[in-house]
Amino acid sequence: MELSEYVQSGLQILADSGCFSPSAYTVLLQTAFQSLLNAQADQVALDHPVLKHIDPTVLKHCHAAAATCILEAGKHKADKSAISTCLEDCKFDRERIEQFCTEYQKNKDTLELILGSIGRCPLHLTDASWRLEYQIKTNQLHKTYRPAYLVTLNVENNDSRSHPDVSFSCTMEQLQDLVGKLKDAAKSLERASQM
Amino acid sequence: MDEVDKILIHSLRLSGTQVPEEVQSLQEFTTELIVESVVRCLRVIHPSLGTSLSHVLPPGMSARFRIGTSLAQACQELGYQAEVGYQTFLYSSVPEIRRLLLFLVEKLPRDDAEDARQPAGKSAGLLRAIAAKIKEELGTPWVPPACRTPRLQRLQGTCLLKPFHAHPLVLPRDSGPVERREFFGGFLPPVPAQPPRPGTVAPSLLERHVGDLGAQHDWEADWQSQGLASRLPPKEYVQWKHQRLRRRLLDQLRQAAPPHDTAGPPQPGARDLAELLSAGGAGGPLAKGSRFSHAQRLAHDQELVGQMQAVVETLVSSKTSEQEVQARQEEELAGLRGELQRLEAEMDAVGGEVKVLELSLSQAEAGLRQQRLALGGREQTLQVKSRALELLPQAENNLAKLQLLVESSAQRLVHLAAQWETRRGPLVDQYRHLRAARHSCQLESTRRVSEIQALHERGRSAATEARRKEELCRQLLTELESLPKDVSRAAYTQRILEIVGNIRKQKEEITKILSATRALQKEINSLTGKLDRTFAVTDELVFKDAKRDESVRKAYKYLAALHENCSQLIQTIEDAGAIQREIRDLEEQIESEGAKKTLANLERILSDYRALRQENAALLGRSRDP
Repeated sequence: MELSEYVQSGLQILADSGCFSPSAYTVLLQTAFQSLLNAQADQVALDHPVLKHIDPTVLKHCHAAAATCILEAGKHKADKSAISTCLEDCKFDRERIEQFCTEYQKNKDTLELILGSIGRCPLHLTDASWRLEYQIKTNQLHKTYRPAYLVTLNVENNDSRSHPDVSFSCTMEQLQDLVGKLKDAAKSLERASQM
Repeated sequence: MDEVDKILIHSLRLSGTQVPEEVQSLQEFTTELIVESVVRCLRVIHPSLGTSLSHVLPPGMSARFRIGTSLAQACQELGYQAEVGYQTFLYSSVPEIRRLLLFLVEKLPRDDAEDARQPAGKSAGLLRAIAAKIKEELGTPWVPPACRTPRLQRLQGTCLLKPFHAHPLVLPRDSGPVERREFFGGFLPPVPAQPPRPGTVAPSLLERHVGDLGAQHDWEADWQSQGLASRLPPKEYVQWKHQRLRRRLLDQLRQAAPPHDTAGPPQPGARDLAELLSAGGAGGPLAKGSRFSHAQRLAHDQELVGQMQAVVETLVSSKTSEQEVQARQEEELAGLRGELQRLEAEMDAVGGEVKVLELSLSQAEAGLRQQRLALGGREQTLQVKSRALELLPQAENNLAKLQLLVESSAQRLVHLAAQWETRRGPLVDQYRHLRAARHSCQLESTRRVSEIQALHERGRSAATEARRKEELCRQLLTELESLPKDVSRAAYTQRILEIVGNIRKQKEEITKILSATRALQKEINSLTGKLDRTFAVTDELVFKDAKRDESVRKAYKYLAALHENCSQLIQTIEDAGAIQREIRDLEEQIESEGAKKTLANLERILSDYRALRQENAALLGRSRDP
């Protein structure tokens, strides 16, 4: 885990017990976690009475540094030893490191959820339904006698976005091909997990 | 033999054989297990030999024999000395199998086995982690969307996913001009509150941090490679770089742009470009405020645009759509346009006039300058001539005076030259000295710079090495935790050492017994000699007396009989000993033969033979049938 100069300087100020008293440190740490984890909290409360006497620029700097540090730790899936080496480099004492780690452990799951929810992925299927169609003749051909499968794949929908279901028709060979491909995919996934 | 079997089974497990947990010694090995372990060992030792063999015993008898024969052949190719054939595998006896497996296990490539267990670096670790994750996700059952916990929803659903969308952030810092600090302290919202949508906080922070880190790394690499060599302090180096970049940009632009008509007015774009360049020169990576000032300017522009829009809107609203007004306006507009055109034409004409006048003015100025130059030259010649004219009346006198003057000035010149020489010598010396000193200083500084670079390099490599070692240590620790605890190398070595010690003790005892036996032999020999000699003497003495005395003759007869009986007795004892040894040998043989499970093996051979015949008969029948 590597931190930029800006974050390191902010953390160094945060580690300074002359600037941040233990109670101020606790409040700032919790605020940093809250501002990352509570998506609904629009107003980041840096107006706690304990933080009143600290220069607002320094306060914002430290707040941004702490938030970045937390995010980076989550991104690297850092364990306790990695976090403590990183914080020791920024001159944190044992007590503050311990406090940081406990707070981090407490919020680790939520943080992972938030980080994991960034990104995109193809649609998820929830169900599939099919029926068989038998074509006897068409406009052009007198008799065709050909079966075809009408397949509908139900796509997972939620309130924010709605996608139409995927439906298509295919011959038996095409369906077999599809099933074979799916089986292949499942098998290679299985193989990848055997490493 | 238990220890040996345990070690053997452990190494077989390492080579890939699936030895069941309950199997503790070689006696419990089935034929299938033997074949499998031998084939696995062969595959590890010599892949080309082992790949052609299947580790599963086929059901058909003839195929079994074939496999046994090829296995035996492979073992012999590897250099196994003792007798080996298909019977070794199919009708096994424990000692033979033990000997064969010991041979194979010793042949196992040891280093490779250790290497294979070494962690193969970062990518292998990553692959393993991916595999573990896939396995975990494959293991979790599918849950309908309505019943999912947030974690499951992240694994199996899509709806919580948000695309990575970052916003530019303004990072407050405690430096810079007072106004900016005031802005940071009073008006700037805290950084996590800056993005307009709450979901973009994490991406924005991450992106900003990665960008900063990248810039830092770039700067470090640049400074290490070129900055140190330039021997400038960092700030000056940055300035120097900016200037160089600017110069190069200007050069490029000059080359790219066609030369303008110098008489024409300067292009409006050119001034903007110059401004742009100067602005670019003042900004740059170290001038951290530029982003902020840029943002401010942008905000100001937006404000202006907003005001203008408001004005336009008010205009639109006040406009009464009366045709009359419109017509009048159009008329007015046409008139204004005509006026504008006229004015423009006038301006063009006036501009042309001005240009012509400027040209003539510059021409006149050039003429003036030339005239002035000519005037200066003429004035000088006039002065010289007037001076000569003044001197003319007393020509000789003046000539002598002039000569005197010339001589004195020449002398003075020589004097001055000598004086200059005296001054110049030490100065030149000093100059040389200083130059040499500077040169040595430069050398020293280059040396220092290279030293510093080497130190940097070493520091960096040490840091990476340390990081790598830490990573390795962590990996090894996790692997150690995952390893089974029961197999401890130390215990084995200790036991081996104990065994070696025991053997040494036994050897000592054996030598002791041997020496005792030798002493006993010696004693027996000396006693036999003594007996022989005593007997010879007694025999002689008694024989002498036997001619005279009847009773002595009887005694002599008894003596002879006693001697003979005793020798017979000794002979018998020795024979008994030999027979006992033989008996013991035979007993051992019986035991070893018994261990070979001959009866059971014979029965198995018989059943296999029957199976083979049945197979042959079936094959024959099949070949006879069409």
